[in-house]
Amino acid sequence: MNRRVVRAVGLAVLGLVLLTGFVLLMVRSGPLAPVRVTTAVLERGAFENAVFGIGTVEAERAYAIGPTSPGRILAVHVDVGSEVRAGQLLAEMDPVELDARLAASRAASARAVHALASAGAQVRDAEVRQELAARNARRYASLGERAFFSDAAVEAKRQEADSAGAQLQAARAQLDAARMDLQRLDAERVAVERQRANVRLAAPVAGVVTARDAEPGTTLVAGQSVLRMVDLASVRVRTRIDQGRSGGVRAGQAASIVLRSRPGFAVAGKVSRVELNGDAVTEERIVQVVFDELPKDFAFGELAEVTIATSRGADVLAVPGAAVHEQDGRRGVWTVADGATAFVPVRTGEASLDGRTVVLEGLQAGDRIIVHSERELRAGERVAVVESLEGMRR
Amino acid sequence: MISLAGRDILHHWTKYVFTGVGLGLLIGVTLSMAGIYRGMVDDAQVLLRSSAADIWVVQQETLGPYAEPSSVRDDAYRALLGMPGVADAANVTYLTMQIRQGERDVRVMAVGFEPGRSGEPPFLVAGRGVERSHYEVVADVRTGFRLGERIRIRRQEYEVVGLTRRMVSSSGDPMVFLPLKDAQEAQFLKDNDAIVNERARTVANPGLNRPGVPGLLDALLASQTSSRSVNAVLVKVASGHDAERVAGNIRRWKHLEAYTWRQMEDILVSKLIETSARQIATFLVILAIVSAAIVSFIIYTMTLGKVRELAVLKLIGTRNRTIAAMILQQSLGLGLIGFVIGKTVATLWAPYFPKYVLLLPGDAVRGLAATMVVCAIASLVAIRVALKVDPATAIGG
Amino acid sequence: MDAPAIEVRGLGKRYGEGDAAVDALKGVDMTIAPGEVVGLIGPSGSGKSTLLKCLGAVIEPTKGFMALGGVPVFDGGWKIRDLRGLRRDSIGFVFQAPYLIPFLDVTDNIALLPMLAGKPNREARRMAVELLEALDVGHRAKASPAELSGGEQQRVAIARALVNRPPIVLADEPTAPLDSERALNVVRILNRMAEQYRTAIIVVTHDEKIIPTFRRIYRIRDGRTYEEAGEGRAA
Repeated sequence: MNRRVVRAVGLAVLGLVLLTGFVLLMVRSGPLAPVRVTTAVLERGAFENAVFGIGTVEAERAYAIGPTSPGRILAVHVDVGSEVRAGQLLAEMDPVELDARLAASRAASARAVHALASAGAQVRDAEVRQELAARNARRYASLGERAFFSDAAVEAKRQEADSAGAQLQAARAQLDAARMDLQRLDAERVAVERQRANVRLAAPVAGVVTARDAEPGTTLVAGQSVLRMVDLASVRVRTRIDQGRSGGVRAGQAASIVLRSRPGFAVAGKVSRVELNGDAVTEERIVQVVFDELPKDFAFGELAEVTIATSRGADVLAVPGAAVHEQDGRRGVWTVADGATAFVPVRTGEASLDGRTVVLEGLQAGDRIIVHSERELRAGERVAVVESLEGMRR
Repeated sequence: MISLAGRDILHHWTKYVFTGVGLGLLIGVTLSMAGIYRGMVDDAQVLLRSSAADIWVVQQETLGPYAEPSSVRDDAYRALLGMPGVADAANVTYLTMQIRQGERDVRVMAVGFEPGRSGEPPFLVAGRGVERSHYEVVADVRTGFRLGERIRIRRQEYEVVGLTRRMVSSSGDPMVFLPLKDAQEAQFLKDNDAIVNERARTVANPGLNRPGVPGLLDALLASQTSSRSVNAVLVKVASGHDAERVAGNIRRWKHLEAYTWRQMEDILVSKLIETSARQIATFLVILAIVSAAIVSFIIYTMTLGKVRELAVLKLIGTRNRTIAAMILQQSLGLGLIGFVIGKTVATLWAPYFPKYVLLLPGDAVRGLAATMVVCAIASLVAIRVALKVDPATAIGG
Repeated sequence: MDAPAIEVRGLGKRYGEGDAAVDALKGVDMTIAPGEVVGLIGPSGSGKSTLLKCLGAVIEPTKGFMALGGVPVFDGGWKIRDLRGLRRDSIGFVFQAPYLIPFLDVTDNIALLPMLAGKPNREARRMAVELLEALDVGHRAKASPAELSGGEQQRVAIARALVNRPPIVLADEPTAPLDSERALNVVRILNRMAEQYRTAIIVVTHDEKIIPTFRRIYRIRDGRTYEEAGEGRAA
C-alpha cells in the first residue's frame, strides 16, 4: 500500500516536472519566448561630434614644368625627390638655332649703333655747312645792297644757304631713323635673348620634384611637362565628406588624420578651407585639411582617414544610436513598461561617430530605454532584460 | 467510469514512454523538417524585412536584385525621388562573397546601404550602427566576427562596429552591412593586380595614350576605376499612396523594373525556394506515413497482447464503444507523449542546425493535430481486431 | 420458493452445417434454484464448455428453451436483444484463471462492473470493497492483480462475479490451479456467497477434491445432462 502510494506520487511528480519542463521550454525558447534585450539609462553629459571622411594627400599648388614651345630636351638636372630652390635651373631645352639668331641680332644691333654715330656725324657736317652757307649768304646780301656783288651772285649764295639747310634736315632725319633702327634691333635682340633664356626651365618656387616625365632627347609639344614639382608648404589632405554630414564643418576645426601607411597613428591637423564646389556625382563635399606639422614620410595620392571634430556640448541628452528605430515613419526608441515594449517617438539631433544620437525631445534623463534586442521589436512584446547579447553566436 | 486507457498507460508507463521516445524522435524530425522549411521562407522574408522597402526598383527585364543580377545607375534614385508618391529612395548593393577570417573563409552577403536610409540593419544585438561613411561594418553574428575585429573586404580593411542577427540572404549566408560607397567599390572594383594590368593595357594603347593630348590618359584611367552602379533602389511609398500604382508609374516612365513587397515575396518565396520546399513537403509526407505506420504497428501489437483481457471485458459486458474508445485513447496518449518528446527534442536540437530552423507555434499545433489524426487512423486496425475478439474465448476451451 | 434461477429444457447446440455438422449439445435439461450450488462435471469434449457458453449468453444455442432468473432468454432464438446487458447484470463469471485486468487495481477490477452498469465510481468502489472484505481480501484492495497469490486472485475473481448481485454465477474450473486446501476454501466461499446473495452457482469442474461437496450434480456426457445427487459433504 505504502509502496504504491510512493510510486504513484513519484510518477505524478515526475510527470509534473516533465510537463513543467516542456511548458517552460516552449515558453522560454522559440517564437513564444520573451525577447532578450539590453537597456541603458539616459544621462545628460558631454557630447562631442565629429565627421569622418576619406581624403588623399595632395599638394594644393603643384607645378608642371615644361617648355612654352615645342622642342627637344637637352638636359634634366634634377631627379624625383630633389628639393629645389626658387629659380634653380631644373632642365634645359635644346636651343637649336636660337644662339645663332642671338649672335645675328647682336651684330645687327652693334651695326645700328655705328649707323647712329655716322648719322650724327653727318648732321654735324650739315650743320657746319649750313652755317657757313648762311653766313656767306648774309655777307653777299649786305655787300649786294652796296652793289659790291651783282644780284645774281647774291641769289646764288642764298640758294646755297637754302640747300645747306635742306641737307641738314635730311641728315637729322637720317639720325632719327638710325636711332629707331637701333631701338628695333635692340628689342629684337632682347626677344631672342628671352627666347634663349626660356629653354632654361627653372623652379618657380621652392619645393620638391615629384615626377620626371621626360628624359633628354625627348621631343615635347607645347604644354607637355618635363618635371612636376610641388610646393611643400601647400600639402593638404583633400578630404571628401558625405554631403549629409558635412553641415558642421568649418575652417579652423581640429582634425585628426590617419594615413593609410600608418594605421592607428593619428596626426594632428586642421581644416584650412571648405571648398565651395562639391562633387555632385559622389554627393560629397570637399574639405582641405592641413597638417599641423608635415609628417616625414608620406606619399602624394596616399589615402588618409580624416576625422574632424565639429561640435561639442556639455549638457546634452544622447542615446545610443542603435536604440533609435523607425516605426510607421516616426523615429523613436523602445522602452520597457511592465515587462512589455512600448514605442516612444523622439525628435533626434545629430549622431556622433561613436554611435550616439542627440535626443532633442521625447525623453528625459533617467529614462530606461532598450538598446539592443535579439530581434526586431513590436509594440507590447514581452522582453527579458539581460546584461549583454554579445555572446550570441547564431 | 474510470479511464481504462489512462489506467493502462499509467500501468505500462515505461513501455509507453520508451515507445513514445521512439515516436517522439520521429515526430521531432518531422517538426524539424517543417521548421527547416519555415526557416527557408523566413530567410527569404528576412531580406524583405531588413530592406524595409515598399518597392524594389531594379534593372529592366530582370527579377533582381536577389533572384537575378541587376544593375542600376546610382543616380537613378534622384529621378525616383521626384516621382509622386515616393517618400524615400535609397541605393543598395548586394554581393555574395568570401571574407577571410584567420584560417577560414566566411561566406557572406555584403549589403551596401546608405546609413540612415532604407536597407540598414533594423536592430542590433551589440555595438552600434555604421556612423562613418567608410570602413565600418555591421555583421550578422553567424559570421563569427566580433566587435572591434578588423576584416578585409577586397582592398579595404573594415572595423566591425555592430552585430545583428537573423540577417541572412535567401540562401542562408549571413549578411555584412557596409557603407554604400565601399560596397560599390568592393563590387565593381577589381583587385590591385587587375587595376594595374588594366592601366598598363590602356597606357599601351596608342589611340588612348596620345602624346599630343595631355590629360586624356589620366581622365581615361580615372573613368575606368570609378563605379556608378548599384543593384537596386529601395523606395518607400509616402503614406496615402498605393504602392502598386507608384510601382506602375516607375515601370512606365523610368525604364526600370519595380516590384512591390508582395511581388518580391512571391519571387523570393515561390521562385527561389520552390524546389526545396517541394522536396521538404515530400519528405514530410513520407515521415507522416512512417509515423502512422509505426503508431499503427505499436498499437496493434499492444492490442494483440491484450486479447484475453479484452475478451473478459467483453464478457463482463463492456460495450464496444468503451473498448474502441480505450484503444483510441491509448493511441492518442502515445501520440501525445510522442509529440511532447518530439517537440522538446526539436526545440533542443534546432539551434544546432547549420541553417535556420524556425519552429512556429502554429506549426506545433498543426503537428499536434496531425499526430492525433494519424494516431486515430493508426488505431483503426487495432480497434477492428479488438472488436472482433470473441468474448467466448475467455471461457476455457 | 421463487422461480428457478436457471431453467433449461431441451437445449441443443449444433456447430457447422450439413454433413460436417456436429451436435455439441443434444438436449440439456436443468433447473437450478436461487442460492443453490451445483456441480457440472464431465470429460473433456463432452459439451461442458459449450453449455457454459450458452448459459453465459455468449454463443447462441440452436434449439430448446432457456430462462435465466425467471426470464425467458432463449426459445428457439434469443428472446432479448441486449445480451451484453444480460451478461453484465444477470450473470457472473469465474474462470479457470482469474483473468483480472492487469492495469486496474483489485478494487477497480471489481468496481468496473457496477461502473459499466452505470453506477457512480464511489458507489461502485464501495460495493467492491464491501465484497472484498466479505471475501477476506479487503487488505489487498489497492494492490495490483500481479501482486496477489493465486488464491487471492481467485477470490477477487469471485468478488467480481458477484459484485452486480447477479442471480447466476458460472464458474469454469475455478479451482484448477489451486491446491486442495485453497480449492476447498474457494468452494466454501462460493457456498457462502450463494447462500448470502441467493445466487445460483454452477461450478464446472473435474476436480475430484471438490466434487463431493456438491449436493446436486449434473453430469454431462455426449451432449446430454444426467442429474445426480451429490454427497453434499461440508467443504
